[in-house]
Amino acid sequence: MRYLLTAVTLAFVNFCYASETPYAASAIPAALLKDANVVKRLEEVRFEIISTGETILHRKYALTVLNENGNDNASFSEYYDKLKQIKSIDGALYDGNGKLIKRLKSKEIQDRSGVDNNDLMDDHRVKMHNFYYKEYPYTVEYEVEIQYNNSLFFPHWLPQEDENFSVEKSSFTLVAPANYVVRNKVFNYNGQPLVSTEKNKTVTTWQVSNLTAIKSTYAAPAWQELTTVIFFGPTEFEIQGYKGNMSNWQEFSKFVYSLKKDRDALPEAVKQKVQELTAGLTTDQEKIKVLYQYLQQHTRYVGVQLGIGGWQPFDANYVAQNGYGDCKALTNYMYSLLKAAGIQSYYTLVNAGSRNRIIDDFPSQQFNHVILSVPLQKDTMWLECTNQTLPAGYVSDFTANRKALVICEQGGTLVQTPRYGVKENLQLRSVKGTVDEQGNLTAVVDTRYTAIRQDYLHDLISSLSKDKVKEKLQEELELATYNVNNFTYNEKKDVKPEIKEDLNIAVNNYASITGKRLFITPNLLNRSSSKLNDEERLYDFEFDYGYTDRDSVEIEIPAGYEPEALPQDVVVSSEFGAYRCATHLSGNKVVYYREREQYEGKFPAKDYAQLVSFYAAIYKADRNRVVLVKKG
Amino acid sequence: MKKLLTIALLYCANTLNAQEAPNSKFGKISPEDLQKKVYAIDSSADAVVLFDIGSSEIVGNSKGWFSFEYTRHKRIHILNKNGYAYADAEIPLYNEGNDQEKIQNIKAVTYNLENGKVTETKLDKSGIFNEQIDKKHSRSKFTFPNVKEGSIVEYEYKVLSDFYFNLEPWDFQGSAPRLWSEYKTAIPQFFNYITLSQGYRPFFIKDHKEKPAIFNVKDERTTEQSETTSISCTEYDTRWVMKDVPALKEENYTSTLENHLSRVEFQLSAYTYPLVDKKIMGSWPDATKELMESDDFGNELTNNNAWLSDAIKEAVGSAATDMEKARKIYGYVRDNFSCTNYMAIRTQQTLKNVFKTRKGSVAEVNLLLTAMLKRSNIIADPVLLSTRSHPFAYEVYPIMARFNYVVCQANIDGKNYYLDASHDRLGFGKLPYECYNGSARVVNEAATSLYFISDSLKEQTNTSVIIANDDKGKWIGSLNNTFGYYASCSLRDELKEKGEDSYYKNLKKEYSEGFELEKPTFDSLSRYEDPVTMHYSFDISKAHDDIIYFSPMMTEGYKQNPFKSAERFYPVEMPYVPDQTYTLTMEVPDGYEVDELPKSVRVKLNEDNDGMFEYLVARSGNIISLRSKLKLNRAIFQPDEYNYLREFFNLVVSKHNEQIVFKKKK
Repeated sequence: MRYLLTAVTLAFVNFCYASETPYAASAIPAALLKDANVVKRLEEVRFEIISTGETILHRKYALTVLNENGNDNASFSEYYDKLKQIKSIDGALYDGNGKLIKRLKSKEIQDRSGVDNNDLMDDHRVKMHNFYYKEYPYTVEYEVEIQYNNSLFFPHWLPQEDENFSVEKSSFTLVAPANYVVRNKVFNYNGQPLVSTEKNKTVTTWQVSNLTAIKSTYAAPAWQELTTVIFFGPTEFEIQGYKGNMSNWQEFSKFVYSLKKDRDALPEAVKQKVQELTAGLTTDQEKIKVLYQYLQQHTRYVGVQLGIGGWQPFDANYVAQNGYGDCKALTNYMYSLLKAAGIQSYYTLVNAGSRNRIIDDFPSQQFNHVILSVPLQKDTMWLECTNQTLPAGYVSDFTANRKALVICEQGGTLVQTPRYGVKENLQLRSVKGTVDEQGNLTAVVDTRYTAIRQDYLHDLISSLSKDKVKEKLQEELELATYNVNNFTYNEKKDVKPEIKEDLNIAVNNYASITGKRLFITPNLLNRSSSKLNDEERLYDFEFDYGYTDRDSVEIEIPAGYEPEALPQDVVVSSEFGAYRCATHLSGNKVVYYREREQYEGKFPAKDYAQLVSFYAAIYKADRNRVVLVKKG
Repeated sequence: MKKLLTIALLYCANTLNAQEAPNSKFGKISPEDLQKKVYAIDSSADAVVLFDIGSSEIVGNSKGWFSFEYTRHKRIHILNKNGYAYADAEIPLYNEGNDQEKIQNIKAVTYNLENGKVTETKLDKSGIFNEQIDKKHSRSKFTFPNVKEGSIVEYEYKVLSDFYFNLEPWDFQGSAPRLWSEYKTAIPQFFNYITLSQGYRPFFIKDHKEKPAIFNVKDERTTEQSETTSISCTEYDTRWVMKDVPALKEENYTSTLENHLSRVEFQLSAYTYPLVDKKIMGSWPDATKELMESDDFGNELTNNNAWLSDAIKEAVGSAATDMEKARKIYGYVRDNFSCTNYMAIRTQQTLKNVFKTRKGSVAEVNLLLTAMLKRSNIIADPVLLSTRSHPFAYEVYPIMARFNYVVCQANIDGKNYYLDASHDRLGFGKLPYECYNGSARVVNEAATSLYFISDSLKEQTNTSVIIANDDKGKWIGSLNNTFGYYASCSLRDELKEKGEDSYYKNLKKEYSEGFELEKPTFDSLSRYEDPVTMHYSFDISKAHDDIIYFSPMMTEGYKQNPFKSAERFYPVEMPYVPDQTYTLTMEVPDGYEVDELPKSVRVKLNEDNDGMFEYLVARSGNIISLRSKLKLNRAIFQPDEYNYLREFFNLVVSKHNEQIVFKKKK
């Protein structure tokens, strides 16, 4: 009897144990461990649209962290503000066997200011938590409920949140009133969702399981092309008393217009100033240029985004009074200045930054910035209103080469912002120098940079004092030991801007001397650093920026040397770009020419090996040396 | 002649003016002030602080004690768009319990020149934002309205602070040059503050006055009729002024700029008559005694801590000697506890709770380590120190704010070991190099003073390469690299984070075409006290060229001078002293003969022999041997030594880039 009892107890204990261990790491399928730092064990997201004024997001997920690289994923943080409220947060920590170690106590949740670094003030706050466990593997589980008082923003479903992140199981359930249409855009989802109806509500569930980890990839396409993602968007929506419809871009444009309309009244003094500045000017281009300069001289970027203020611009009067505003306010101000001069322009939404393309067949709030477009007879002129130094009509890599949404009363459409490609983005350099008997080089380096190729330099010279630019130059060149003795910059501020840079540099031991030989690498300043590993490529690759570089170098060498080894000329062309370089000796001068073109575009994975060898050829050729020997 | 005189007079007047305080009356701005485009102090400045004047004054408060009244008045000339950042202002505020810092009023005005006239734009109250950063910290923020190139902005505010322990420090220097930086304190005789000043700039004025004063203290917190107590005593008024202070400059190889800026700071040391005499800051032993007794530091270390027994048993296992035990306990704490904050000297939770949650600040983790060692009858004490990113600690004064880090000193068999269990892969008896930042203090009865200096950290790297001909006409080789200790630590981190495959891939990229590497193997990867040794072999496919140019330093040499700037303002403070040896032994490739070898050199860094570099090449029959040794004897160099340091490395780079030339035998 005693034995029996023990057995029963044991069985009971075992049962309990088993029921408490949904997260044992040993249960993870082997395929999900490959290349993974983190495995999402389960995720259940439920998004319910109660009305256009209220939606609720409920999300429960558990992540098993396999090693210390996964720790970042294990921390919890969630923003909230006037449009979004966090109703509850629960959490728990489990060890590798899936045994509960501890539950989250609400006093352990940190509540901190989440004000964006770019803003003077906004109303973001953030709730954060971290178990800081470090015996691997371990599992964190969080459950959060969020209430939105608007329907402008719908969440997206992204089971695989990161690189080196696999997914055992994830599901997304959408609950919407039966008469409300939710739009979606599906990437990489096989099959159809489960649809059911309960009490006048349509319930739709998508689910995935066993998504293997994706490794970090060079020149990878957008994340949604690699894994399952579903974006959701409203039809009818409202936010803070403003109503709209997102079914198509025109409707969304109308809505944004409703937020910004009647905010263009300028103070009398500014109106007069506009008249004064534009009096006597005949073309719209000239007027725009003058007024844009006025904007640049009288305003600067200061972000104050509270509540609907994150979406609605401060009026023109506010900017006139304070001399500042965020992108919305400043763009609206410029719009108002142009309006006062009788020029029609358009407030235009764009997703700024690098590689930020929007999904153009899915109308939704995908934008983070506003610029101004001014249609002229032939062309459209684009104005970036938050920058005090850009030339009128040039918007830089920040917003060029992408689609943007024009905002107007009747509803605008997506249009293309200016394109700058391989023909526009140039870096043309000429180096003329002399090497002395000790191998030291003095050289004059003249370079012309245009369009996107000049963006970095433009930012540098317009944001740093001359002393600091000098310090930067003294750090940046990849030369052994050198001094920049003199430098000048000349900017041509134009729709296609250009910077001319003249450097006077002295490089110690540029030529390496061993006994009677002199070694010179004629490619002084433009050596490619890209080298790829030849490995199996799963994904397409993408270059979103085309450019052309040309370098001409002439280096005078001390008398009495003759060539022992001259590098072969190299010519490589491929679908991604072209390269050629040539070296010869002319009298006592080493003459070198290099040309490199990079094309933008998307290329199939099967061509990756070609890219590897293209880069390798350039890498090698860029380091070729000329060997000279002293005669006699 | 007349003209000349005027100029001379003007010049004279200017210099006279410059001797005196600026007219700092709020709003007193002239068109001439606004017309100025460039200042002699720094012709490339984006903004110039015309004056920055602050004062801290002790006043009686209505809570039965004393408060500080801190005022600040600052005027800045914004010269161009890059200076717009100086139009943003923020005032940090702190609160704890009932004590708080409160802003009395903020006055801020922008001045512009319009049609020859000075216009004023006042900051509207709605433009002042209060941001609650976390429970105890908040800040008031605003930006000046109507700022343009050439605007002058001016603001003034007063903060009332209940934290009378904390007499605000003053920075005379900042990122923009300052024409006039002035700080005043007014302190009654019964509060003694010690003044600590640092930096290289001289004071233009340093003035001390005494005057009679009356301090009124009320207590309105009780419901009874409050009574005002008046104290008549002497007030000490001190004034510091610096003039024409250049901007601070960021430089590489600096521990922290905060050690170099001109600053005064204070520490409350005692109450005296007419208050009841009380020492606040006593001797070092007083301070460590207090620390040992305080709940948020050492109190728990003096307990029996029986709750640790099981953990110690688990950690120690069968270890018999104190040394073995200490190592096991160190490893246990290091491997099982996460450090959540690397800047802490006070605990915010009990050690028991640290133990339970398995996480804590560097202070908490290392105090737990200390507690476990003590419980195992090993002599162990906490050590306070200041890391390189933090200003130096004072050796003389027990000023806690100067410390930011806690480690543990264990005395085993009569020898002291310094332990830090907060880093995942640090070895027993090793401290991160960030800890080598001068004065430190053992929290024991004697308050033993310690000194951790970067000069004492030798980072020794040894690389040897052997290349020979094999019987198949190939050139084969092997490389052995023993990394310096800190390089070993980062290598361990890298391998852990990215894996050996990724390391191998990157290594292959460093070699030029024609080199085939085997995957490297590593020794001592998990023996955290020791440096890591890496080994790999390779073969080189010889092209059948008539001439082979061979870089004998392989991938190991210096390619660029680490000291890039042409000039230097603050000392070079390297984290440790490099000692790098590279040797190559190679056979001349079959079928070739040596045409040229680099020349040997041997140089000293300076006459005091603070460093040396030798590059020796020899040939004996078919064997070439090369040895490069670079060794410095100290880690800190003064700005006036910078030129020869840079020159020295210039030579190193130049030698490291030389080639061996082989020619095909005819």
